[in-house]
Amino acid sequence: MTDLSMQHTLSFKTVKKHYFATPLNSAITVLLAVFTAWVLWGLFNWAFLDAIWGYGKNEECRTHEDGACWSFVATRWRIVLFGLYPFEEQWRSALACIVMLVVAILSCVPVFWSAKRLPTLWVIGFATFYILMRGGVLGLTPVVERDWGGLSLTVFIFAAVCLLGMPLSIIFALLRRSEMPWIARTMALVIDVIRSLPLLSIMFTFAIVLPFVLPDWAIGDKLYRVIIGYAIFFACYQAEIIRGGMQALPAGQEEAAKALGMGYWNRVGYVVLPQAFRNALPPTINQFVITFKETSLVTIIGFFDILASGRAAAGTADWSFATIEMYVFVGLIFFVFVFSLSRYGAYLEHRLNVGSR
Amino acid sequence: MKFSRVIASSAMALIAASQVAHAQVAEGSRLNTVLERGSLLCSGHNGSFLGFAEVDDQGNWRGVDIDLCKALAAGLFGTSEGNLEIVPISWAQRWPSLQSGDIDVVIKVSGWTQSRDTELNLAYSRPYFIGAFQTMARVDLGANSMADLAGGTICVAAGTSTERATATYLDTHKIDAEMLTFENGDELRNSYYEGRCDGLVEWAPSLAAGRVDAPDGADAHAILSDVIALEAEGIIVPEGDPDWLDVQNWMLSSLWFAEMEGITSENVDEVRANPPSATVGTFLGVNPGYGARLGLPDDWAYNMIKEVGNFAEIYERNIGSGSPYNLPRGINNLYNAGGVFYPMIID
Repeated sequence: MTDLSMQHTLSFKTVKKHYFATPLNSAITVLLAVFTAWVLWGLFNWAFLDAIWGYGKNEECRTHEDGACWSFVATRWRIVLFGLYPFEEQWRSALACIVMLVVAILSCVPVFWSAKRLPTLWVIGFATFYILMRGGVLGLTPVVERDWGGLSLTVFIFAAVCLLGMPLSIIFALLRRSEMPWIARTMALVIDVIRSLPLLSIMFTFAIVLPFVLPDWAIGDKLYRVIIGYAIFFACYQAEIIRGGMQALPAGQEEAAKALGMGYWNRVGYVVLPQAFRNALPPTINQFVITFKETSLVTIIGFFDILASGRAAAGTADWSFATIEMYVFVGLIFFVFVFSLSRYGAYLEHRLNVGSR
Repeated sequence: MKFSRVIASSAMALIAASQVAHAQVAEGSRLNTVLERGSLLCSGHNGSFLGFAEVDDQGNWRGVDIDLCKALAAGLFGTSEGNLEIVPISWAQRWPSLQSGDIDVVIKVSGWTQSRDTELNLAYSRPYFIGAFQTMARVDLGANSMADLAGGTICVAAGTSTERATATYLDTHKIDAEMLTFENGDELRNSYYEGRCDGLVEWAPSLAAGRVDAPDGADAHAILSDVIALEAEGIIVPEGDPDWLDVQNWMLSSLWFAEMEGITSENVDEVRANPPSATVGTFLGVNPGYGARLGLPDDWAYNMIKEVGNFAEIYERNIGSGSPYNLPRGINNLYNAGGVFYPMIID
């Protein structure tokens, strides 16, 4: 494992030592530097110097081939960000998104890390999000779930899946490690079966096949069925990650807790889980990142997540040439989210000293 | 029209009107479900399908399929405003969603194939659009038909039914042209635009959509009238619901009937105030019967035309000359203009 505290200081001496040690070394360095600069310059040119900015300049863009057409984003960004959400009500979607982000950022602050504060924060945040999006109370016009779209839908699915999936995964992991063989084996079977199914087929089953099987009162909106299906899928993977974290603990830890006379819940809650999470932090962050990116699969069952609304934004005769700009824009949004998620993970690792024990 | 004929047809209409009875709509019909719910759940798209279902700057749906959804909702409820929900669904999802009741009807450029019709338990309305495979050629070649491309090169996608159909077409029409095939769609189109081939064969709406982005401008390319192969696109409802299917068929027929009679969204009020014939009077709900037989209000066709116009208006607005795609109507015209469509008889 690399030592996080080790830092390369960039001085003339180290540069010379690392990159210009021999003539061949120097040649390769120069060559690569020139190549990189050339690529970056081309990119910079495309994205900034030759780009077309401003609202509604699709005719200019069509004949202009060298640069990016950011006019697409300027004109159609509301479709990308909010999908089919009613135009006049889109401020609600934006506000809901901001609320969710604030909650996510707050829950990263150590002050909120307690068994009471964190759930309260999330319940309040989630309720605000839901009321803003769904409406129907406080004078807000109702907007049904199938009209939700864009970034707020992606954020909603991601947050809901993680919130449902996390507790579920702990339950799964504990059942999987149960001392009663039948429970442990059944859970192992369930986890393995679900893990062997593609996420897409699980989503399709929950969204489309389930209404044929369930009684009418239990069907609910397609969105929630998909979230439940996705959460179960997430929980199965996350349960194995947590189990890995648990198994890395020396057996003596639990035995010592037993010897002290601690009950099962105390042992799990105070001794096993905190250490298991600490061990499992890097793969857990990884799992979050994967989950965020895979939310775009919901487009297959007809949701306007950010990628689908991006395609809808570029899917008109006026803008059909702007697919690259659309993917760059959506890609940047994904990048911002995933990158901050992984930087936060790195911060947590540093704080909990996961790297060095 | 002769005065005696007017009297005769009015008399006929009166007799017919006296015989009008309200249609018996089957208890479990989707028509009843929709009317009770007060809104129609129609198929949209997960993203966009150029010309048929796309999203404007305000996030509103538009396109040929969307207009048909609007027409249907207007026919059922008087106006589509507040009575129509466009449910975004993917291609793969359309049949299960229809069966499970997520949507009431699939209007999503879906071809009428035998397996869908039989094995999937779907019922097709009569086609409303012929998805023809046609050839696009550069205008400066001066070609008017495939025969003019003799001696040239034609690009098609490799290993598709299009390739086979094109080969057969060239054979049967004794056109001596070389065929160049490409595995990849982008490669195919780029080769055409770079001038490697004189003609490009694809599904006509795709040709029209691609032409908009042509590097030398859409006007430099023309879609030839020859139909190499075709796919008939219909409206789909679950099998075993004849009442609901009737509504679809008569909706389409009404749109063509209006076109035939020159009734548009603009002049529909004038025509209704002063119907040129008893049939038109019946059609627009002046005389009773046209709606009641289907279990609908008698002015349902009027409401439809008022909101979306006749079929020509729908076509031209979305993929025809009133749109950037500018796809000639060709085979999709009424029979008297060289197409294959016709209204059914209103009696």
